[in-house]
Amino acid sequence: MDRLTEEQAKTIANMLRKRSLWMIHYCTGCGAVELPPTMTSRYDMSRFGLAPFVTPRQSDILLVTGYVNIKTLKRIITVYEQMLDPKYVIGFGSCPINGGVYWDSYSVIKRLDRYIPVDLYIAGCMPRPEAIITSFRTLMDMIDQGKADGYKRYKRNLAYYKENQRKVLG
Amino acid sequence: MMDLVERIKGIDGVEVTVQRHNRVFVDVDKDRVIDTLYYMKNVLNITQLSFMNVVDRINEGKFEIFYVLYEREEKINVIVRVWIDRDNPVIDTADKIYPPAHNWEREVAEMFGIKVEGNEDAGKPFILENWKDMPPMRKDFDSVKYCNEHYVFRHSEDENE
Repeated sequence: MDRLTEEQAKTIANMLRKRSLWMIHYCTGCGAVELPPTMTSRYDMSRFGLAPFVTPRQSDILLVTGYVNIKTLKRIITVYEQMLDPKYVIGFGSCPINGGVYWDSYSVIKRLDRYIPVDLYIAGCMPRPEAIITSFRTLMDMIDQGKADGYKRYKRNLAYYKENQRKVLG
Repeated sequence: MMDLVERIKGIDGVEVTVQRHNRVFVDVDKDRVIDTLYYMKNVLNITQLSFMNVVDRINEGKFEIFYVLYEREEKINVIVRVWIDRDNPVIDTADKIYPPAHNWEREVAEMFGIKVEGNEDAGKPFILENWKDMPPMRKDFDSVKYCNEHYVFRHSEDENE
């Protein structure tokens, strides 16, 4: 049998990769209350090969649930940079999208995607477990098609992200 | 209850308001607040400081500082209130009397810019990190203006960079 081309190897890797996603959820806000029903028997996300995990170094997905203020942004960046490639970020709820109800708060950043690359947003306050499951399925499709390339964008635009981070973190 | 209220009324220079059966407000002058707290702790035996914070009375040009004390025997909240000048906000520390006041005074110093004399930690960075603007819990702090200067809002026509 001939050797696989790089393209074929990537396709196979993506196909396998999307079926076993481990997730670290950085519970900054109220969004975390929707995760226990998603994980446990009612909605049971392990049907899709997803599992909650405790350390950033073994995880594939970083789930940012809820508002992100300056102090937590520091920790999120640390967690994100500890994760190994490939890694995917999901912004959960309306707060990472545009600030949500904290749109005029002095300590909450308004757009998460200026500081770390976000592959997927789940809109809603709060998103139901069905929406979370749907977003994970969407993320799987994106991985399959090679569209979930946030970690590549982070490397490519590192100067842009670092400049934005420095601007708020000082 | 009434016995305790009568004893509080016996303190010099206080004004006592009984709001309901378990809540008593005690208004004192600025220079008597530490004496009053000391008396309440050591003579009236009100052992617990539940809470301490500030209300920004910007229309009167004052800060209202209140100490919520709790009397465990009769289950009464005693709230000591003191009004200080907003332009020159200086209070004395209460952490020698009630040790939990130490960290609340740090928070008050950071969030309202109140100078706490005798508390060497007040004024050091506590909750906010790298804060360079005016204290954010003051009423004249313009939060929207601060956000416009420091953060980027998402507008509907923006593309995801």
